[in-house]
Amino acid sequence: MVLQLVRRTAVFAVSLVVASVVAFAFMSVLPGDPARVALGVNATEEAVAATRAAFGTDRPLVVQYLDWVGGLPVGDFGRSYVTAVDIGPQIVDRLLVTTWLVLSGMAVALVVAVPLGVLAAMRHRSAGGTVISAFSQVGVAVPSFLAGILLVTVFAVRLGWLPSGGWVPPAQDPVEFLRRLVLPALALGLVQGAVLTRYIRSAVLDVLREDYLRTARSKGLTPGRALVRHGLRNAAIPVVTVLGLQLATLLVGAVVVERVFVIPGLGSLLLDGVANRDLLLVQGVVIVIVLAVLVVNFLVDVAYTVLDPRLRRAT
Amino acid sequence: MTRTPAALVVGGAIVGIVVAAALLSFVWTPYDAVQVDPGTRLAPPGFAHWLGTDTFGRDVVSQLLVGARTTLFVGVVAVGLAGVVGTPIGILAAMGPPWLGELVMRTNDLVLAFPALLLAIMFGAVYGPSTLTAMVAIGIATVPSFARLARGGALQVLATEYVLAARSAGRPRTAIAVRHVLPNIAGLLLVQASVSFAIAVLAEAALSFLGFGTRPPTPSWGRMLQEAQQFLYLKPELALWPGLAIAIAVLGFNLLGDGLRDRFDPRLADRR
Amino acid sequence: MTRSLLRPGVLLLAGVLLVAGCSAGSTASPGAAPGSPDAPLRIGLTAEPANLDFTRTDGAAIPEALLVNVYEGLVQLDQGTGEIEPALAESWTVSPDGLVYDFTLREGVTFSNGEAFTADDVKFSIERVRSDAWTVSLKSGMGVVSGVEVVSPTHARVTLSQPSNSWLHRMTTRIGAMFDPSGVDDLANTPVGTGPYTVSEFRRGDALVLARRDDYWGEKPAIARVDLQYFDDATAAVNALLTDGIDVIGTGAGPRGARAVRGDPRFQVIEGTTNGEVTLAMNNAAGPTSDPRVRRAIAMAIDHEAVLNTAWAGRGTLIDTMVPPTDPWYQPLPDVTPYDPAAARALLAEAGTPAPSLRMRIANLPYAVASAQVVQSQLREVGIDAQIEPLEFPARWLEDVFRNADYDLSIVSHVEPRDIRTFGDPSYYWRYDNPEVQRLLADSEAGTQEQQITDLQQVGRLIAEDAAADWLFLLPNLIVADTDVQGLPQNRIGESLDLTALSRG
Repeated sequence: MVLQLVRRTAVFAVSLVVASVVAFAFMSVLPGDPARVALGVNATEEAVAATRAAFGTDRPLVVQYLDWVGGLPVGDFGRSYVTAVDIGPQIVDRLLVTTWLVLSGMAVALVVAVPLGVLAAMRHRSAGGTVISAFSQVGVAVPSFLAGILLVTVFAVRLGWLPSGGWVPPAQDPVEFLRRLVLPALALGLVQGAVLTRYIRSAVLDVLREDYLRTARSKGLTPGRALVRHGLRNAAIPVVTVLGLQLATLLVGAVVVERVFVIPGLGSLLLDGVANRDLLLVQGVVIVIVLAVLVVNFLVDVAYTVLDPRLRRAT
Repeated sequence: MTRTPAALVVGGAIVGIVVAAALLSFVWTPYDAVQVDPGTRLAPPGFAHWLGTDTFGRDVVSQLLVGARTTLFVGVVAVGLAGVVGTPIGILAAMGPPWLGELVMRTNDLVLAFPALLLAIMFGAVYGPSTLTAMVAIGIATVPSFARLARGGALQVLATEYVLAARSAGRPRTAIAVRHVLPNIAGLLLVQASVSFAIAVLAEAALSFLGFGTRPPTPSWGRMLQEAQQFLYLKPELALWPGLAIAIAVLGFNLLGDGLRDRFDPRLADRR
Repeated sequence: MTRSLLRPGVLLLAGVLLVAGCSAGSTASPGAAPGSPDAPLRIGLTAEPANLDFTRTDGAAIPEALLVNVYEGLVQLDQGTGEIEPALAESWTVSPDGLVYDFTLREGVTFSNGEAFTADDVKFSIERVRSDAWTVSLKSGMGVVSGVEVVSPTHARVTLSQPSNSWLHRMTTRIGAMFDPSGVDDLANTPVGTGPYTVSEFRRGDALVLARRDDYWGEKPAIARVDLQYFDDATAAVNALLTDGIDVIGTGAGPRGARAVRGDPRFQVIEGTTNGEVTLAMNNAAGPTSDPRVRRAIAMAIDHEAVLNTAWAGRGTLIDTMVPPTDPWYQPLPDVTPYDPAAARALLAEAGTPAPSLRMRIANLPYAVASAQVVQSQLREVGIDAQIEPLEFPARWLEDVFRNADYDLSIVSHVEPRDIRTFGDPSYYWRYDNPEVQRLLADSEAGTQEQQITDLQQVGRLIAEDAAADWLFLLPNLIVADTDVQGLPQNRIGESLDLTALSRG
């Protein structure tokens, strides 16, 4: 198992490096010289050359890459050519916002999915289970931005209960923070909840068919008790995996939902960066998103290796 | 079992309707879907325009029909690309030396770390947003699921006795791949295609919504939604129709995928 | 089972209600209740500035927020009449030959970093525009200055190399902003000006917070703190207004914003004009549009009223050339290229290109995307195939269209005041090279005011006859605001959103 972990860690490290190369290479082929873009139309060649030197974009790409990637571990993402602001702190700020969004979305998803999924599995032959399954099918088909638009229409514009968007940091005003978090969290979470419901349902169904559960029930436990005592932990393994994968989906979903709700998170930073041709910024956001996905995948992998007895035996 | 063939029937029917709508749009739409008509802006649903018109006076029904075409086009190209690239890679990974399989799977994981939407935004930033960049980005992001599936399926098939026999008899690898592996995993691939299609539809809608997908005036459900968002408080139903279209199409492909899985997935079949 | 099935949903709903209910009495803006004198006035705007340095970064967003409010010039525009009025200069005189401007400066003016404003700063600021420190294209407006002399701390003398009727007007734009030599180190983040406000916080992606200065030389504005909140689109801004997230939509409300609050007593709509000519640019130097007949055909194929009605709900003004009605040389030219699809088709046939295929590379902004679809549809009627390609604004549009003129047709709004002059610059992205226009523009600088008006009217007519571009409509100034907000500008004719006259009551 130790060997397995070492190997996974090595693969993770290599993936990180390759991902950073990809992100860098991608943005380096963007048409348009950042120095020229920064200087505007009437810039002289000398001014452009000087600005290029100041930006460091006159150096060979390999040097630029090493310089960039070398700063990443200490949170130095470089200084934007366009906004003349250090990118690192900006990304941290925005990542914090997006993290709130993703976690609250995840929370909503779990609150919806765990009871519904378990119920759907336990009643899978009855009408109730079918109804839940049908609802989750429909939920999966609704993109989060559509859910967001519908929620805004109903709760913000029509009923006026909640603000339609915007962001207030929790430290500034916790109540206002929550009010603004509710709709985007619901938009993200309800859809993910529907996805999750289906996974939980099938995971619980699998567990329900296991022998030890049958044994437990034959000993006189009700199906619910048997499940809670013996089954949930086993069902949790595939569900945790899915949760990990869903974090990536949520992160991406947040990009769009942030657009709908005017939330200054990582997604809007990315889109603004693209619009302003702020290549270092785009590069930074891309690597952070990819990094987040890789880290989560890695952790899920590790958890899997450590938790699953079958996998432990296999290596 | 629990999943009745209903999923297959309903899913197939919905997909059939979407395909029919797209095909119909080639030969007939109630109105020209892109023709702007200032005289009939924001007309309510009625006899002339069944679902009304948008802010440009364009007929919503016509746009939905042509939008189905855009959606299917993106889905077919993206999923086709992913299948055509991913399947051979997966089979190769299964049949080749272990290090190759490992390399493919690790590369897969790496590509998976670039979600479709992120890739498409990056592509859009470099090459300008268009249906093409959206399709290619979604396609690339979908390759890993096909590769993984093909590899897993191929490994199973390769372990069966008749394939082992064929291999020991010295049959060429390509022949084994084409004669034995591919037909046996075709069902699984079809399931994956259907599910991937649903994801592609969602991704296209999201991209068009963000302005990174299909260019105006070509109707696209995602962009219709984005345009309708501006009229949310005046005519919310304008957002409803493309939203419904997206949801129904995704539902259809997901159901179809579920239905197909019930038929093709050996694991589930065993349990029956 | 029904009970347990419902529970999560009920909980969820209860949660929503709880959070919604909590705040029923609370305020949307932390710190102070709306209406209290300390409450910030929250103004929604579109197009967030990338940074705060308009000396090196192009675009309308930075001067919109900072000019007049944070930076001041020697002179400024009266928002009502368009007249040039004193600002940091108490008065000025012009020599009879139009070459020497003597400015008498206001005393007791300080920059927000505490430094006093003197004639040295005038010299520094004007010369800085001419140096490499400034890179934006508008700096060329200072090219006519040959020298600045500090006569006394309150007397600056500016000498021009040739008479210029437009120079003083340009001094009301961003290039006339006065800087302090010790305050230009970090313009992108820390602007230092003499204006009534300072930038107290710039939360990127969210808001620019302006705070009133206590040591401002002039009449202090009524509002102590203004939050300029940036939205990606009108819908989000309107939703924010409707849910009391903001008090004013300064720009970008669009016609939909105005319609959304129609009949709602909580809100007022202010409608006026701007300098924003939504222009269908046509490449005069390359492709099918280099043929004036093709350009005229395009201009005549477009039903401008339909464009305005469809793309912008009829809000706005139809113009026939690059002049808004607020300029002295405004003239209607309805007969130059009237809507006439048949004549357009004939012109195309005559040019030998009955069905040209054109790339319409537009800014990906709401008015442009909306107008493009109408124009595309109308051009199709006369056989022109225009392919719409929205480019991210500003970066990609600036690069491809504005800098490299890699386009056939483009749509963007030109908001700079008096930008008719751009037709005298053959390197401008119109790529329009007409010696007659260039001569008239040069003449207009030297003569009397009447002469200037005649010359520029002539230019306006010439570029319309040549169809050097086509003017779809003039963007309206549409401000939607809480009813109690006063002092909002009717017209937007300068570069700035003047916050100094605002009050609540």
